[in-house]
Amino acid sequence: MAEFLQALAQGVLIGSTYGLLALGMGLVYGVSGVVNFSHGDFISLGMFLCLALYSALALDPYVSLIVTVPLMTVLGGLVYWYLLRPMVGHQFLMVVQLTLGLSLVLQNGILMVFGGQSVRTPSVVESKLWILGEVVVRVPHVIAFVVSFAMAIGLYIMLRSTDFGRSIRAVHQNAHAAALMGIDVSRVQTLTFALGIGILAIAAALLLPGTPIQPSQGLRYTVITLIVVALGGMTNFVGIMLGGLIIGLSEAYGTIYLSDTLGMLLPYGIFVLIMLFRPQGLTWSSSR
Amino acid sequence: MRQEFYKTLLSPLWLVVLALAVVVPPLLPSYYLHIVILSLVYVALASAWNIVGGMAGQISLAHSLFIGTGAMLSSALLLKLGINMWLGLVISALVSGAMGAIIAWIDFRFQLGHLSFVLITLAFAEMGTVIVEGWEFLGGASGLLLPRDTGNFWAFQFGGGIGAFWAMLVLAIASILINVAVLNAPLGYYLRTIRDNENAARAIGVNILRYKIAAMVISAMLSSVIGTAYVRYLTFADPYLLVSPIIIIEIVLFATVGGLGRAYGPAFGALLLVPLGEILRGKLGGTLPGLHYFIYGVVVIAVILMSPRGLLPLFENWWARLRSRPVATKQG
Repeated sequence: MAEFLQALAQGVLIGSTYGLLALGMGLVYGVSGVVNFSHGDFISLGMFLCLALYSALALDPYVSLIVTVPLMTVLGGLVYWYLLRPMVGHQFLMVVQLTLGLSLVLQNGILMVFGGQSVRTPSVVESKLWILGEVVVRVPHVIAFVVSFAMAIGLYIMLRSTDFGRSIRAVHQNAHAAALMGIDVSRVQTLTFALGIGILAIAAALLLPGTPIQPSQGLRYTVITLIVVALGGMTNFVGIMLGGLIIGLSEAYGTIYLSDTLGMLLPYGIFVLIMLFRPQGLTWSSSR
Repeated sequence: MRQEFYKTLLSPLWLVVLALAVVVPPLLPSYYLHIVILSLVYVALASAWNIVGGMAGQISLAHSLFIGTGAMLSSALLLKLGINMWLGLVISALVSGAMGAIIAWIDFRFQLGHLSFVLITLAFAEMGTVIVEGWEFLGGASGLLLPRDTGNFWAFQFGGGIGAFWAMLVLAIASILINVAVLNAPLGYYLRTIRDNENAARAIGVNILRYKIAAMVISAMLSSVIGTAYVRYLTFADPYLLVSPIIIIEIVLFATVGGLGRAYGPAFGALLLVPLGEILRGKLGGTLPGLHYFIYGVVVIAVILMSPRGLLPLFENWWARLRSRPVATKQG
């Protein structure tokens, strides 16, 4: 039972951050139809920026957010404006290939700057633990959980009741009509992409304490994010957070109750089955 | 259509390239020979992938499974069960073909869209990596070391260096010829019809399942055979190189840069980028690891932004203008 509760806690805590990672991708997909295969490498970039700030100025990852969030947001905006915006109207698969190219650039850019060995970034809360009865949780995971949900709720409110949020939803529903109503569609798409990458900077800092990082990890994060987004029906906010929890829990339970290999296979297995048997949960054709 | 095939086969350009490929490499020092062999491996792999990814328009990221099966399974059969590698090559190809057929069937049965197909095949590729790393029979995470290549042809050994070059040249040419043949056969026309408009293809009575399976099985078996030959050349069956999704992403990018769906496009992309990457790695790999991948990425982004149909069409236009008469384009 202790094992069960432990895995439950771990799964929920990590899963919430997966959900946050996926929200950014879901937003971008909803507004511009871009599936970003370099998503995980942007997470990597966020993590390595934190590492660089720690090495240079001894900043704690949580503090370096002051620098990384604006930096990554601007970078995201530039990437969309100069690389992805010209591809609008081209075949969807060309955009996929372009982001695959971008993933190579980011991953190996990081490799050239930081080298390939696995490194950790220390944080003040890194080794702190909370013991609740039989369950031990790590404080960074709790922080990640709280911040992720706060961010998700904040995004939700932003989408519901600010002008920017309304213009995002308008473009999502019907880009053409939105343009006719005087919304600058490419501006909204660029800002959304920038926002999505900015969220990643936060998620990167949340995942960082206690996690060894290396440049080649990007693809794994991309795949996890894609799985979560697809589980959540691509653009459905609640669905995506739920998808994050499902993947977090299946990872946690898989590694405890099954062998290592089977445990790592479980999320992919669940993903394939849901894609095949619950395609109606995946709204990517009907919503656009 | 058959005429078209033979005409391409006997075109002067093709014969000159072939003659150069036969005459020059044996004279090269071993480092450059290695680059040539590597280029041929990727020419063969990119062309094999093109049958599904280019002609049928399905960006399959599951091809690392087929390459990996060809490499790891045949090595494991040899080392663990003592099965001759020629037989291992056939067994691996059959297994890959079966996996390909299953993937094509899943795609058809569940009516996957383009995006779902990319995602599902990526998930399969990741699962393949996890399985190989966790399964001792296939070498686990540490890989498998093949016996030294003594040049015994009957044991699937070609004597390294120049022997491997001949083997790869044969495979690369076979892979390109299969491309040309498929492109000019009814299968090629059906595949392009399916790619351009699946519903219209269905409406005029194209048997979509049959042709999707045919394309995937041909492509999968070819990739598997190339995988077996590649691992024999490498001697060390490294799962992180041969089964990882990175290898298939590279192939997709080479094919995109060259020109998707054309008979020579993917080969062209690989011939351009692999030597570039390898030479960069040789010169700067010690000081700047990852530079060659970085350059691949930049080239891919630049090509997609400037000429989304790939570089080959650009060169064809340029060539046509040079000869100031319209060239017979092989529209893909």
